[in-house]
Amino acid sequence: MKKNNTKPLLLALYGMDERTHKMMAMYLKGPYKGKAIIVDEFEAEVDLIDADHIKAKDLLDERKMKTPERPIILLSLEQLHIEGTLYVKKPIQTEDLVQALKLAQNQLSSKPAKQAKAFPEQTATTPAEQEKGVEVVTTEKKQAAIKNIDKDEIKKTSKHRTAKDLTEGGFSSYLGHIEGVSFSDLEQVLNASFNPKEFFLGFVQSAVRVSREKGRILQLNSGWKPLIFFPHTQEIWLDANEKQLRAFAGLEIKNSASKAMKLVAADKVVSNCNDNMEGFYETDHFLWMLAVWTSKGRYPETININEPVYLKQWPNFTRLLVTPHAMRIAALLIQGPRTAISIANALKIKPQYVFVFISAANAVGLVSQAKRQADELIKPSHEVKPSKSKGLLGRILGRLRR
Amino acid sequence: MSQYKIIFTGPVGAGKTTAIDSISDVPPVKTDAAASDMTKSRKSQTTVAMDYGIMNLDDGEKIHLYGTPGQERFDFMWDILTVGGIGLVLLLDNTRADPFQDMQFFLDSFSGFIADTSVAIGVTQMDLSSKPSINDYHEQLKTMDLKPAVFSVDARVKNDVSLLVQALLFSLDPGLED
Repeated sequence: MKKNNTKPLLLALYGMDERTHKMMAMYLKGPYKGKAIIVDEFEAEVDLIDADHIKAKDLLDERKMKTPERPIILLSLEQLHIEGTLYVKKPIQTEDLVQALKLAQNQLSSKPAKQAKAFPEQTATTPAEQEKGVEVVTTEKKQAAIKNIDKDEIKKTSKHRTAKDLTEGGFSSYLGHIEGVSFSDLEQVLNASFNPKEFFLGFVQSAVRVSREKGRILQLNSGWKPLIFFPHTQEIWLDANEKQLRAFAGLEIKNSASKAMKLVAADKVVSNCNDNMEGFYETDHFLWMLAVWTSKGRYPETININEPVYLKQWPNFTRLLVTPHAMRIAALLIQGPRTAISIANALKIKPQYVFVFISAANAVGLVSQAKRQADELIKPSHEVKPSKSKGLLGRILGRLRR
Repeated sequence: MSQYKIIFTGPVGAGKTTAIDSISDVPPVKTDAAASDMTKSRKSQTTVAMDYGIMNLDDGEKIHLYGTPGQERFDFMWDILTVGGIGLVLLLDNTRADPFQDMQFFLDSFSGFIADTSVAIGVTQMDLSSKPSINDYHEQLKTMDLKPAVFSVDARVKNDVSLLVQALLFSLDPGLED
């Protein structure tokens, strides 16, 4: 890809403390005239590693594994000759670093643009290519280059645990009851709303938003257990099991308790989190759970249940808490906007199952009030047209749920 | 008696054989062979014809589960396999260099079948590589004007495969009740 002269080179730094980060940033703004800037690892075009760091070898291996196409510059007091890397001797001389960055830039510019293939067999080397002397890479090399494996990801078992599927029978016993609301009285059900801001859910949603906007790792102190937000990987870390969290989620947070909620920078606690990988949750999964436990069959005040809502995309149900009829509701709502009551009527289900779905999907930004003109123009029929093979599909469903 | 079938497709190593194994009532018939081409770099055995499993329904009806071979040279079989199919389950391996390219390829290849039925997409190996995310897949699908279910799937876990197939069925008819 030919680089635009005005576009700065994007660098990620590894094995460097905050002070070195700042020095590098100042250097790039000054002597290097802003031709390169420091970004996080996900946006970077070039990786810069302090090879004298205690974990330098691991850092280098990790970069080669995750982003094999990216140029790597090593900084070290000792002379290094590592294949596929550029080297700058410490203490860094401006000319040496400028030269290394230019070489890295050249490497990027010389990479061929991606070409579409007829079939995505991404490791293929044709016999003709082999005859022409094109390097036939070993299986090991191929896998290192092709398989994008993150060794830590597999340890985050909470993130990859299969869904819990709630039936109508287990709904109330699992979630508990709401005092003062009888779900057998339709009038009471239709008035059963909650304000997310008065529960832990609201504070967590707000912290997620701030963390994403600032692009910083933040910690929410609540007087209970701290929650840590990782905006780049879309993860939340908490040292508590789901049962404890469920109990805390249901508590209304009064004014005095809300004053205990503090959001602080948490860059230095990351290593503690890595000691307990089980504590990592996907942010959306975490918010979804909290919303289900907070809702208990009520709808969020931010949604007007008399107006249609729309579903942006299917939720990732295999990693979520699947509330009764949630998949049917998603399948219907993905076809077009509807009101909560019209969904309940069309599927012949109790409104609280629609409300709990709307609460959870709204908490992760998948359900919103339909305000677009196009949404108002589409008037969905209240009836769901049954498919011709409804009986057969129903029997397959029954077999799958056995 | 009619032949009802659900088709599982996707690139080599995406977990089609394992997924069928997870929900089949009989030991699946596998037609794996030692891989002799580039496939060898990803797995030692690969499906050269098709996989086949069965789900027995309460009324004695059978649902046939067919896994397509992942290699291009067998794509002539895909059209034959899909005749009379209920819907398509597309499995994608998230550790591959460009899973979006895989997705585009298979959605294009089965576009006619999908238009007549429906598709549900399972992304495997997300515990080894969390990028691209499920949201990234949805963003790609938007450009193709498609809104199918896309789930993280561990093909070894029955519940994951079951939920994916359920999503396919509800896409065909949200009014279904078991």
